[in-house]
Amino acid sequence: MKQLTYQEALVEGIAEEMRIDQDVFLMGQDIGAWGGALMSHKGLWEEFGTAGRMIDTPISESAMVGSCVGAAMMGMRPVVQIMFGEFLSLAMQPLACDAAGMWYYSAGKTRVPMVLRMMYGVGPHRGHEQDYHSWLVNVPGLKVVMPSTPYDAKGLMKSAIRDDNPVAFFEHMNLYHGIRGEIPDEEYVIPLGIADVKRKGNDVSVVATAMMVHHALEAAEDLSKEGIEVEVVDLRTVSPMDKETVLASVKKTGRLVVVHEAWKFGGSGAEVAAMVAEEAFTDLKAPIVRVAPPHIPIPFSTPLNKMFLPDKKKVMEAVRKVLVNL
Amino acid sequence: MALTNEDLLAIYRYMLEGRMFEAAIAKFKGNYHPAEGEEAVIVGTFYNLRNEDVVVPHFRGSIIVSYMRGAPLRKLFAGIMGKDTNYNHGRWRGDIWGPPELNIIGMFSGALGASISLAIGAAMAAKLKKTDNVAVVTFGDGTSNQGNFHEAINMAAVLKLPTVFVCQNNQYAVSTPARKGLGCRSVADRAVGYGIPGVEVDGNDVGAVHEAVQEAVKRAREGKGPTLIEALTYRVLGHWIADPATYRSAKEVEEWKKKDPIDHFQKKLIKAGVLTAEKIEEIRKTMEEKISVSLKQAEEDPWPGEEWLGADDVFAPNKLGGVAQ
Repeated sequence: MKQLTYQEALVEGIAEEMRIDQDVFLMGQDIGAWGGALMSHKGLWEEFGTAGRMIDTPISESAMVGSCVGAAMMGMRPVVQIMFGEFLSLAMQPLACDAAGMWYYSAGKTRVPMVLRMMYGVGPHRGHEQDYHSWLVNVPGLKVVMPSTPYDAKGLMKSAIRDDNPVAFFEHMNLYHGIRGEIPDEEYVIPLGIADVKRKGNDVSVVATAMMVHHALEAAEDLSKEGIEVEVVDLRTVSPMDKETVLASVKKTGRLVVVHEAWKFGGSGAEVAAMVAEEAFTDLKAPIVRVAPPHIPIPFSTPLNKMFLPDKKKVMEAVRKVLVNL
Repeated sequence: MALTNEDLLAIYRYMLEGRMFEAAIAKFKGNYHPAEGEEAVIVGTFYNLRNEDVVVPHFRGSIIVSYMRGAPLRKLFAGIMGKDTNYNHGRWRGDIWGPPELNIIGMFSGALGASISLAIGAAMAAKLKKTDNVAVVTFGDGTSNQGNFHEAINMAAVLKLPTVFVCQNNQYAVSTPARKGLGCRSVADRAVGYGIPGVEVDGNDVGAVHEAVQEAVKRAREGKGPTLIEALTYRVLGHWIADPATYRSAKEVEEWKKKDPIDHFQKKLIKAGVLTAEKIEEIRKTMEEKISVSLKQAEEDPWPGEEWLGADDVFAPNKLGGVAQ
């Protein structure tokens, strides 16, 4: 057992997969000797750079992602990083409009085993923070992963690299160097599409992702002192969504709060809420509440930025709200 | 490598058969994008490549490339119609997409440009796997203004990826003439900006196109990097079959029709004693028969059943097994 940061855990997962499978290669801007933005590739160059398995590219997100799609179609397993989720729109055509549909459109002949890494999230970096994951959730054929802990980050990255579909992998910048977690010495993987109950509780279900899982857990600790036991469900993979785990939790508690950092309107949390309303309406004891940013661009100034984001206090308010019986 | 008489005949056949095939499609599909007049670029570029080379054809002429790589007419007709007997069981339009098993990367969306990035990715895979296979991609003059063109060619240049970029310049992007869409004189001139060779070639001369492409293929196989070729030709018909093309003069069209690549090549081959009027008649008759039989079969072929709707078939099951579902 060792203690690794989220960033270290990601890198360790990638390195392990590269040792196992020679078809895995990395592409990105400044990922070579420099180590990648926020040290996202730290140490990898020394082991894999000279073997030609790391490709430093010009600033060309569309061609980076498009070429990785092409390489994946031909049997390689690229892991491409476009630095930040803020640049996602530059790669949307090859990723969402081409790659995502290839398995279906080719009637099962074309596989696109690739991972698109991107950093995002409000944190100390104070730039490139936009959470655009909800755009991708609407696209059939894409997997969307958002880990919340170092343990999950490593295990999910390994599965994403082994997956035969395009996987969008969101790495939260506030978690990157901010938290450490226990990583077992032996190898492990975490399957995509499986949520994790991060805290058990019988009173309210809070479904969250990435940074919001931590706010939910903090809120749960405080509420526990008042005798309110919150169950925190970490989706881990937003698409495909683990409906069973969410439904099992809601059937137990009868109350649901959904939290994410992406905008509320049209956000992926609406899908969680709608799914529960469709499939477990009679189990609900109160209306569902979503906690997510207002429908405005992300304000810069610290106080405005804090008002914009969900936090522990907002999650606690939402939990209290759903505790009122119909 | 000099072309043998068999090569010359095969090239002629593909051009003529390609035109006849597309004419048959045009009869039942008014929104088809015909390549009439551009066959020299299509056949000259894609003739004589290895099966292992990856071909990434422009949408205009894509179906001729599938035919050249061995796809049967019946399946291709079925792809245009959306019948079950096509390679993808009617899940995706067959006019701009070719079967992956023939190492064709077709278009998986209607948006232009992404194909060029996919092509350099295929070239990257060939290089990473330490083969000397190449990727050959064609695209229009209009597509050469799209961001992917610039990003992908620059990246192929700096990474020395074995790619051959061929601009099938038919002088029109829908209704926009190349002179209004391009700031440069020739698409080949853009190669200077990427530090790679730029070659201009007469796109109505199939021999010239073939020679230029083969030279670029050789260069790519030797690890010397990509080449950008502009093959200047002309879109004789509308953007699609039913397009009245009122945005250009009849005189302009007539002038270009006189430069028809098939007529031009046919005369050359007859003069050289490689082709005879009888042989032409035989090729025509055989193809007419093939088209009529295949078309009838495709018409009678079944539509895809509900099993191909595939609501649970959006993700590939993982070859590596159990862990990552």
